[in-house]
Order: sequence, then C-alpha cells, then structure tokens
Amino acid sequence: MIEVFFQYDFLRYSLFTGILIGILAPLTGVFIVVRRLSLLADALSHITLTGIAFSLLLGRYINFFAVLNPVYMGMIFAAGGSLLIERLRHTYRFYRELAIPIILSSGIGVGVVFISLADGFTTDLFSYLFGSIAAISSTDFTVVLVLTTVVVAIFGLFYKELFFLSFDEEQAVISGIPRRSLHFLFILITAVVIGISMQIVGILLVSALMTLPVAAAMRLAVSFKQMFLYSVVIGEVSVLTGMFAAFHLDVAPGGMIVVINVLILLIVLAATSEKIVNRKGG
Amino acid sequence: MEIFQQLTFLERGIAAGLLIGFISPLIGAFLLVRRMTIISEGLSHVTLTGITAGVLMMQTSAFFAFINPLYTGLLAALAGSLLIEKLRQVYKHFQELAIPIILSAGVGLSAVMISIAETGYTEWYAYLFGSILTVTLNDLLFIFLTGVLSMLIIGFFYKELLSISFDQEFASTSGISVRKINFLFSLLVALVISMSMKVVGILLVGALITLPVAAAILFAKSFRHVLLLGIIFGEAAVLGGIVSSYYLNVATGGMIVVTGIIILMGAAAVKKLLPEGFFSKEETV
Repeated sequence: MIEVFFQYDFLRYSLFTGILIGILAPLTGVFIVVRRLSLLADALSHITLTGIAFSLLLGRYINFFAVLNPVYMGMIFAAGGSLLIERLRHTYRFYRELAIPIILSSGIGVGVVFISLADGFTTDLFSYLFGSIAAISSTDFTVVLVLTTVVVAIFGLFYKELFFLSFDEEQAVISGIPRRSLHFLFILITAVVIGISMQIVGILLVSALMTLPVAAAMRLAVSFKQMFLYSVVIGEVSVLTGMFAAFHLDVAPGGMIVVINVLILLIVLAATSEKIVNRKGG
Repeated sequence: MEIFQQLTFLERGIAAGLLIGFISPLIGAFLLVRRMTIISEGLSHVTLTGITAGVLMMQTSAFFAFINPLYTGLLAALAGSLLIEKLRQVYKHFQELAIPIILSAGVGLSAVMISIAETGYTEWYAYLFGSILTVTLNDLLFIFLTGVLSMLIIGFFYKELLSISFDQEFASTSGISVRKINFLFSLLVALVISMSMKVVGILLVGALITLPVAAAILFAKSFRHVLLLGIIFGEAAVLGGIVSSYYLNVATGGMIVVTGIIILMGAAAVKKLLPEGFFSKEETV
C-alpha cells in the first residue's frame, strides 16, 4: 500500500510534506490554542484563499505570477490580514470579537470575486479548498523544508518567551518581553504554516489540523511538554492515515485527515469523560 | 403562491436576495450584542455537511430522491448549534475552542462526501459561493417560509431575546427561561443560514450577517438603530451585489460581500470625517 508513495516523485514529495505538516501544524496549534487564538487561524486560512485567488488572477496577465506557486501570495495576504484584524480590533473597541468574522467572510468574498474574474471555478479550486495529494513539486518541497526548519528553529529559540506570554501575559510584559513584536512574529509563523499546510489539507481544513489534535491532546496531557508530544503524535497519525486513505479511496486528503482527527478526538473525549468530574476539566 | 410562479428566474433571485438582505442583519444585530457573530461562521460550515449529506442520500437511494438538500442543511445547522453548546461544557476553560472544532469537523466531513458524490463541480460551487440564477421556485418558497417563520419568532419573543442579549442574569431572575430562549435563538440562526445559503453561498452567509451590522454599529445610538441601519445596509449590499455581478459577470455571492465591505469602509470613513457627536443629534429623531 505504501509503496505507491515511493514509486512516483510527486507522491513522494507529498508524503514528505505531509510528515512535516503533521509536526508543524499541531506544534503551532498548541500555542494558538493556549493563547486563545484558535479563531484567528480560521480567519487567516480564509484570507489565504484571497491571496491565492489574487495570484491566479495576476497569473493571467503577468507571466511571473503564472509560474509562481500561488501559495506565496496567500502567505503574504494572511500576514496582511492579521494586521487588518489588529486594526479592526482598534476600530471596534467595544466589540473586539467582530474583527475575526469580518475578515473571515470578507476574505472569502473578495477571493470569490478574484476567482470568478480569473475564470477559476475549475477543479483546481477544489484542491485549494479541500486539499490535494499531488500538489507538491520538488522545488515546493525544498521551500517547505527550509520554512519548516526556520519555524522550528524560531520556536526553539523563543520557546521560553512564548510559553511565558501564553500563560501570564502581564507578568511577561513586566519582565521585559517585547509582547508586540513577539506576537507579530508568531502571527507571521502562523501565516507561513497555514500556507505550507494548505497545499495538502486545503484552505478550509488547515485550521482543523491546528486545533483538533491540540483539543484532543489537552484532555490527555498533564504538562505543557506532554501537550506538544501528544498533539504532534495525533497530528502525524491523522495526516499519514488520512493521506493513505485518501489516495486509495480517491477522496479529498484534507477531508480524510480531518475526519480521522475528529474520530481521534471523539475517542479521547469518550475515554476521558470520567476524568472531567475528578479533575474538573483541568 | 401564484405570484411566485409568474416570476422569471432573475426576478426570483432578486426576490430571494431582498428577503435575505432583510433578515440576515436582523439576526446579526442580536448576535452582535450577544458577542456571538462567530457562531454564524461555525454553523454555516456545518450546514455544508448537511447539504452534502442530502445530495449524497439523493444519489444513493431512490427513497431519498425527494429530499431538498436545503432541509438536511437546516437539520445539520441545528445539530451543530447543540453540539457547540455541548463542547463548550466539555472545554470549560477553553470555550472558544468549540466553534473551530465544529467548523473544521463540518468542512472535513463535507470534503469527504463531496469527493464521494458524483456531482459536477459547478453545482458544488453554487452551494459554496451562491448563485442567484439557480434559485428555483421551491427554493424561493423555502426562503419565504423560513423568512416568515423567523420574523414570527423574532416578533413574538422580541422582548425576551432582547433582555437575554443584554443582561442574561436579569433575564433569568425575571422569569425568562434562558435555556429555551437560547434554543430558540439557535433555531433562528440555523433558519437564517439555510435560507441565505442558496443566494450568497455557505462560505459567505456569515458576511451578510456580520458586515451590515458592523457598519450599523458605528453610527447607531440604540438597538433599534442597529436593526434599522443594518437592514438598510443589508438590502443595499444585496441589491448592489446583484446588479454589479450582473454587469461585471462575476459570482453574485462574492459581489454581495464586496459591496458589503465597501459600505463598511464607507461608514468607517464617514464616521472618521464627521465631528464627534454629529449623529447623536441627528439620529435621536
């Protein structure tokens, strides 16, 4: 079953990328969930679609964009979107939570207009939305590998600061941690991780891979380090089984990965349901 | 009924759009003050699961051939709203996790079912991004009936909804059953999402619920103003979107959202330009 993935180049690169995503997305997800930004991941992934659509539209007129992987434009838009969210939070001082639904739905709306201007309502769009198993070329993989290394290195370097900021923001600020720049760095990482992951899981399902493994790991872990470990294991299992199942059943890989993730979450919830009483959801 | 039958397909689309432009901001205003606008995103994504399940059932067995996917979508949205409540209890310390979980689980299931169903891509795009050209007579009837039903619910329970939205504790001490009204409210949101879906599309329903009230709240001095301005902005977005999409030949749902964004940006600009307190004099009339 697994041999197929090594027979063809494009499948092999997808498999490697999948393995990297299985680590990267839950890793970022732990910080996202703990910092209560899980909805932000949804908004950023939706605005990535706008960027991809914009790149497709430009590709019709400018040669450079026709050959460029639209994902990069998606990452740029996601980073820009996060700035817009901050701005909107400022505008709606009393209704801060409005910023995310505004950006989320506007992102899709503008994206749809770009797509229809580019005549892009084709099968390609479906693989952007729900993932594709054969989307990774060797150059894409090189970029993914480099970006993964950078992201993991940043997490390693700033682990203490991010950890501190996630659990006690006030104390962290007082002890001199630059909250704003660290937050911006973190959002940038999130945008990059969304861009990498969406090539296999699809835009609408990226945030699933960031939140579902963490939601399950949270029920099991007793320490922050354990939460990382469990999230990555769950993420990896769901990505790999999801990709194999998707290939052999011929369904969208993103969908399969998320369904397996949901199953894992349900099992974990069922298994830990007694613990809630004892530990009060700790 | 006869009036509906005489309409051309374009008129049907516009009629559906006007109904939706009226009711979405109405619900949006309640969601806004309850700080729950994001739930519209979660439920709309779950509606997609219901729709795909409906389409799949229609294909696999003749017994289900009569099913209109809009109804299964409505059921899924209802189930989704109950599940969100349940998840909020499970993740007591991370309540905001409930919506992303439901949202992604909904899309994931839909993606798998879309791959299995043998339906052309264009039809799915109509569900995802809306298309006024595909509004059938049955759809318009569905939109009309759910619209009337939600108006009736809002009309009958306006006071209860209002008091729960602004002060839940006060509401429960004055004898309003918070649980029942909350359930009713979820039902309303599910109704509005499934009725709007055909015109603006599942991925864009949230925009029509949020954007007009987000613009309205910049000016409004009372809840009634939010309702009134929200409806005006909502209708303007729908009409502007339909007309511009017709001339530019782009997806209707997308253009409706873009018009909504333009209105929102315009509102923000006007608010910035005008001196403070300008509207408090004007709008108290």
